[in-house]
Amino acid sequence: MKISYEWLGDFVDLNGVTPKEAADVLTRLGVEVESLTAVDLSEIIVGRVIEQVKHPKSRTPLWIHQVDLGDRTEQIIAGAPNAVPGSLVPVALPGTTVPNGKLVKDLNIAGFSAKGMLCSAEELMLGEDHSGILILDAGKPGDPLTTVIPNQAVMDAEVTSNRPDCMGHMGVARELAAGLDRPMKVDFMPAFTGKADPPGRDLIDVSIDDPDLCSRYIGGAITGVKAGPSPKWIQRRLRACGVRPINNIVDITNYVLLEYAQPLHAFDLAKLSGGQVHVRRARAGEKLLCLDGIERELTPDMLVIADADKPVAIAGVIGGEETAVTEATTEVLLESATFNGPSVRQTARAFGLRTEASARFEKGLPAELALAGARRAAALIAELAGGAVHREWADVYPQPQEPVRIRLKPWLVDEVLGVHVPLDDSEAILVRLGFHVRVLGDGEWDVLPPVFRLDVTIPEDLVEEVGRVYGYDRVPPTLPGRRHDKWTPAVPNQGRRLDAARQVLTGAGFTETWNPALVSGRLLEQLRVGARALRVSNALSDDMDTLRTSLLPSLVNVVALNRDRGRTEVKVYEIAAAFLAHVGDKTTQQPEEPLRLGVVADAGTTAESGRKAFYAMKSVLDGCVRELGAPPGTYQRAAAEMFHPGRCAAVFLDARQLGYLGELHPSVLTGANVEGRLVAMEIDLEPVLDAAGVKRAQTLPRFPAIERDLAVVVEEHVAAGALLATIKEAGSDILDSALPFDEYRGAQVPEGHKSVAFALTFRSPERTLTDAEVDEVMAEIKLALQKKHSAGFRT
Amino acid sequence: MINPQELTQAALAAIAQAHTEDELAAIEVDYLGRKNGRVSNLLSGIGKLPSAERAVLGQAANEAKRAIEAALAGRRRELTDARLADLAETEAIDITFPGPALGRGRIHVLTQVQRQIESVLESLGYKVELGPEVETEWYNFEALNIPPGHPARESWDSFYFTPDLLLRAHTSPVQIRAMQRIKEPPIYIITPGRCYRRDPPEATRLPYFSQVEGLAVDKALTVGDMKGTLLYMIQSLYGEDRRVRVRPSYFPFTEPSFEFDVSCGICAGAGCKSCRYKGWLEVGGCGMVHPQVLRNGGIDPEKWNGYAWGFGIERMAMLKHDVEDIRLFYESDLRFLEQF
Repeated sequence: MKISYEWLGDFVDLNGVTPKEAADVLTRLGVEVESLTAVDLSEIIVGRVIEQVKHPKSRTPLWIHQVDLGDRTEQIIAGAPNAVPGSLVPVALPGTTVPNGKLVKDLNIAGFSAKGMLCSAEELMLGEDHSGILILDAGKPGDPLTTVIPNQAVMDAEVTSNRPDCMGHMGVARELAAGLDRPMKVDFMPAFTGKADPPGRDLIDVSIDDPDLCSRYIGGAITGVKAGPSPKWIQRRLRACGVRPINNIVDITNYVLLEYAQPLHAFDLAKLSGGQVHVRRARAGEKLLCLDGIERELTPDMLVIADADKPVAIAGVIGGEETAVTEATTEVLLESATFNGPSVRQTARAFGLRTEASARFEKGLPAELALAGARRAAALIAELAGGAVHREWADVYPQPQEPVRIRLKPWLVDEVLGVHVPLDDSEAILVRLGFHVRVLGDGEWDVLPPVFRLDVTIPEDLVEEVGRVYGYDRVPPTLPGRRHDKWTPAVPNQGRRLDAARQVLTGAGFTETWNPALVSGRLLEQLRVGARALRVSNALSDDMDTLRTSLLPSLVNVVALNRDRGRTEVKVYEIAAAFLAHVGDKTTQQPEEPLRLGVVADAGTTAESGRKAFYAMKSVLDGCVRELGAPPGTYQRAAAEMFHPGRCAAVFLDARQLGYLGELHPSVLTGANVEGRLVAMEIDLEPVLDAAGVKRAQTLPRFPAIERDLAVVVEEHVAAGALLATIKEAGSDILDSALPFDEYRGAQVPEGHKSVAFALTFRSPERTLTDAEVDEVMAEIKLALQKKHSAGFRT
Repeated sequence: MINPQELTQAALAAIAQAHTEDELAAIEVDYLGRKNGRVSNLLSGIGKLPSAERAVLGQAANEAKRAIEAALAGRRRELTDARLADLAETEAIDITFPGPALGRGRIHVLTQVQRQIESVLESLGYKVELGPEVETEWYNFEALNIPPGHPARESWDSFYFTPDLLLRAHTSPVQIRAMQRIKEPPIYIITPGRCYRRDPPEATRLPYFSQVEGLAVDKALTVGDMKGTLLYMIQSLYGEDRRVRVRPSYFPFTEPSFEFDVSCGICAGAGCKSCRYKGWLEVGGCGMVHPQVLRNGGIDPEKWNGYAWGFGIERMAMLKHDVEDIRLFYESDLRFLEQF
């Protein structure tokens, strides 16, 4: 919200307080001033135009002015014709830099000297108008312009949503007054000025259908107004706050909105059919041509102001064109109402239209504010547009604002803040902010918040009021004491436990990525992993409309992106949740969120490079599982979506399936525009963490080992894992380890066969083994392999 | 019969002339070798000699052996010293040549920053709590004192699956869940995790981001305790010269509520371009837990009170590592990720 420093001065004495200081005080109090734009007018003086003639030679139209500057007359040339003789104008003399940054020079234009510049509103940063010279409505030639227009400073402030009262200058000024400990110059509730007959409520009949959506509607009648431009000071203040002046009546409603934060609307009373104001829901099919020239279709969940026939305004959002105040208007119905916040917000959102009025109503305004705003606006209209304010307005107030009383134990201030605030200080602060404080017999306080502060309802709210004015800078930082004997012991957090796997991956050359969990639902469906996907109902775009059910699509895209950017080798992983809706019930239950490890790596371009990459990926997984402290996983040939049908393993830890590891299906790569082969895995981490135990030390071997190699020739289909199982079974307790280390196909073995080489280590914890013993066990192993797998042996 | 003295002289002469350690080794075998060494051979026929001669010869042979051993050791030391003295020239390499690529990957900068934050707060006794990213309306909003229609809901525009299921807009639901589970304070927890808000992606914000929130529930906690905790955290992460400021603000779930700022690391608070001439950088929000929120977590606000705070991990990482565009964290360009 834009706040004019000069305007604040109407309510609180700012003598000796610079705009910067005022901004700092407001920020400390909670009205955060994000920027401050100052306009210094002290170099500009007032001049009176004595004579104006057209430049005789210049091809572009120019006018030569003789300007009275009090002690002398100067010749000044301008490009606009509106500074006619008699006009009071702002003058910048040579050597002056005007607020918009332009340096004024002593010039000679086609034979005529020009000793200065007549300024436009835009040059003085008093508005956007640069079409003509700014004509002043008061001032004495030779005096500084600041005698007529004070120095300007506009703050851009962020008002928190609980403080709609600060969406007006008066509320902001009250904060500033409290912060500076200076009195407010103006009472919140203005006097009622209506005297004219007949009573206003005889001129207009107000009814409210839906008190939940409109808790108060004040309709003030003012007759005999003369619509026209509003005074310069009003226009200037509106412009400073970013509001375009229209006519005096409309400008006054906007002015009071910016002053009190109460939105108002002025209807041309003569155009309201039947002399009626009916606050009701719109009827299906109703339309309204709005003040911005757009016709809007209304729906029955929207609240409207209607006359006897039709809607004339969308409540709290925007007025209608047909009943708007124009130059021809003489009778005005001044609307000051309290509309339901959520309803106004919903309507404004439905139209994608956020107005100054709706921005305030949607925060929830106090009904008492409506009366203050209406009185203020009526007085201004009478003063500036010459109308007669009628007595006894229509004021339908079905739900009067209930006063809130708060019992405060005043020592709560010290207890919550952690600093001693003297009781007198606390009380003084509350009083400055408009609260009434009554000290009760038991030392507790009975506190009545001001009517414009609906946000204060509990003792803690009062602590905040005291704290922010007292100054949080004065609260010394401390750390909480340890006041208990009961403490839950520290356990390593899950993320930190998983760092053991990250270290394995880092060492193996993999880089961690964090990818968005929202992905394209269409992509998941193409990859056939979308069955349990949750789709966002209000997505920002269709490339992130669905929660991922797998980490792999993101990682494949990471490979594609990095290859596009010139990387040849990409090895990446991510540790994050996948999201799986419960089958059959996607609507009420939270989905499963298994924590997963997804890994993708290049696998070259050939079947052989892919095979090697597969085994390398197994090593990475085995390493991760080991470092996480779990027993080794087992692998079973499997088929899974996204994976190569011949090169995919399901991974198990005991009986629990962890996930899949394998080469990715060629069609997945084609879809992502990735050439060659990729190997990947996606593993549930929680079962691994669950299975983790403490590593126990093994006694180091004291006796030497005997090593033997064994080349086993079997048919192609026999898996190394099966041979290994047979070897281990037959190997008796002196077989310490067995590991397949080579595969061979070719001239040395029969067609359709392969040779698998195993490295066997024999060892006893009790003695040195003899060759004879080992030979015996080797013979048993061979026999078992022959029986079970029809194996032959190579030497 | 060979004279031991002559044998010794011959050996010492050979040793003196030896120029390499290999030559010395050969000489050692030649004279002292157990099977065919010349000194050993001296003694091979000793058994046939009379005992007096036997003793004399034995002693002479032992003296010869000791002398040769001493000479070998001395010469060996000379040769070693000479070799080591020349190493600077004989084995010099070009130390400016780079080493081979290490081939290590990197841990994501956000993981690194998250761990740093966790470490600092764990050192104060806070424990990590995690919770679901898909939340119910109640945990995400109502339990946090943000009923439907509340104007503050504007600040947490969320992604919905159904009217009751949404992606959490903050990790605050984890605070409620933790209070419900732990039941009996003291509660000192931090809640790192991913969050989602319906903001279109731009350089300063994303529809997906990560937060760390903290919650302390105990007896008689104060705004001062909250300030001290934030100060400890910020100084631990960014250095002792940083200051923390709390400014009044508004959140429905805390009362009083604050924004907390950190003094700008470039201008130290004086105001410069990177802090938009404010001297302070906005980091996060904090406040004393609203009594209703404690009640919603099953904690009696008459007996206990608390403070809480929250901030974006990305924001902390951007401040720490001078990252100017938040999108880089989630774009997964290895050229970016490998810088950390």
